[in-house]
Amino acid sequence: MTDEPTPQVPYCLRLPGFRSVAWQQWLPAQLPSIPPGAIDLDIGDWSLSCRDLDELLHALQQAGHEVQLLITRCRDTLISAAALGLPVREASNDIHTSEARDDQPNETKTHVDLTVHRGTLRSGDHIETRGHLLIVGDVNPGGSASAEGDVYVWGRLRGRAHAGSKGNSNAKIVALQLRPLQLRIAELVARGPEEQPQPGLAEQACVLDGAISIEPASAPFFAQQT
Amino acid sequence: MTNSRTILICSGKGGVGKTTLTANLGIALAGQGARTVVLDADFGLRNLDLLLGLENRIVFTAQEVLAETCRLDQALVKHKQEPNLALLPAGNPRMLEWLKPEDMQTIVGMLSERFDYVLIDCPAGIEDGFKNAVAAAKEAIVITTPEVSAVRDADRVIGLLNTNGVSPVQLVLNRVRPKMMANQEMLAVDDVTDILALPLLGLVLEDEQVIVSTNRGEPLTLNGHASPAAKAYGNIARRLQGEDIPLMDPAKSGRRGIRARVRQLMQTKIF
Repeated sequence: MTDEPTPQVPYCLRLPGFRSVAWQQWLPAQLPSIPPGAIDLDIGDWSLSCRDLDELLHALQQAGHEVQLLITRCRDTLISAAALGLPVREASNDIHTSEARDDQPNETKTHVDLTVHRGTLRSGDHIETRGHLLIVGDVNPGGSASAEGDVYVWGRLRGRAHAGSKGNSNAKIVALQLRPLQLRIAELVARGPEEQPQPGLAEQACVLDGAISIEPASAPFFAQQT
Repeated sequence: MTNSRTILICSGKGGVGKTTLTANLGIALAGQGARTVVLDADFGLRNLDLLLGLENRIVFTAQEVLAETCRLDQALVKHKQEPNLALLPAGNPRMLEWLKPEDMQTIVGMLSERFDYVLIDCPAGIEDGFKNAVAAAKEAIVITTPEVSAVRDADRVIGLLNTNGVSPVQLVLNRVRPKMMANQEMLAVDDVTDILALPLLGLVLEDEQVIVSTNRGEPLTLNGHASPAAKAYGNIARRLQGEDIPLMDPAKSGRRGIRARVRQLMQTKIF
């Protein structure tokens, strides 16, 4: 151990925002500029399987860099990192922390707190976000989705959903097919309806008179909340 | 062999038919001329050897091969009647701790050099045994029964397979009872594929002969048995080989003679 104090903020290595190159080609050029020792690794939107991630960590390790924290915005990578036992943090979708989004058109900035997840949430999967959450796919029984804002499911919601997880009772849950095991909005809990909903009818759940009630989804689907 | 296929057979829940499928698929593939090895990764509670009737022939396991106290061909147990099929038990039930994902990859690497198909019989659950087995697998067959608990567990396993980069993943639906499905007392095939969203590799009907064959240590596919389950296993093997065989429709699987069919017809008219 040296007497030299470790830097307060470790170096943070960011993968490029757009996947135009494979990291295997990108990494060697970056290695010389990375200070040795512990670093943070910001994966950004990259979706890495266990094997990919392991390979990446291995490549860094061989160059003498120990990844002490992984930051990612992609759920698959999050799961991979958890499976490898790596400390991991989900990046907030705050526009200021993300270089990759700076060049997006201005109008998307109003939706900046919307997290989009593509793919099915299977049993045991859990996704939790700040802001609104849009799932393009199903939420299967045993899966759960939680957001501080609204939860939108462009598919079948058959698991659990929690909107307004930090207490916003104006939040709502919208799904193309709403057949949940359980719904939560803010502190309220409701079991899913017993009878099957009409097919082809998007429904939404929101708080009405202190209880969660389900009604046909109202346009606009993505209403902006304050 | 570069075109060797390593297929994991898993389910999450126990008792849905992983080992039975592995044994029957192994025999069926071997019978169709493919050099096949079945690897029992469930070595804590191993019983693939029982189903194949090879229990008394096991001398060495993969454990000894890795420790280099024996050669691979000494540890491989050739099947009595089906010379194309070999069994490799992963380990000794008394030594549960030794196996690591890398060991599993080494063993499967060795096996894939001399076999066309490496079938891995995965243990139930999603703990270490499952992780070891997944590490070595390239593709997977998820087997489930039409029950909510089995489907739920299968769903979880599919999620884990996806994050581990195992692809393709195919589905086998086991212990289907057409009558109960017709009466809506059991999850329908569509209900299951709806949730799991996987291509269906085969449907296996509930069949008492499976129990008989398990206790005898002679897989159903061994002697060209005419029972529905034997046929289903044979078809699964053919579909794996790339043949295009239409899936059986459980509603039309005439059980026994005309009386049953008439009864079924009447039932469907009532509903």
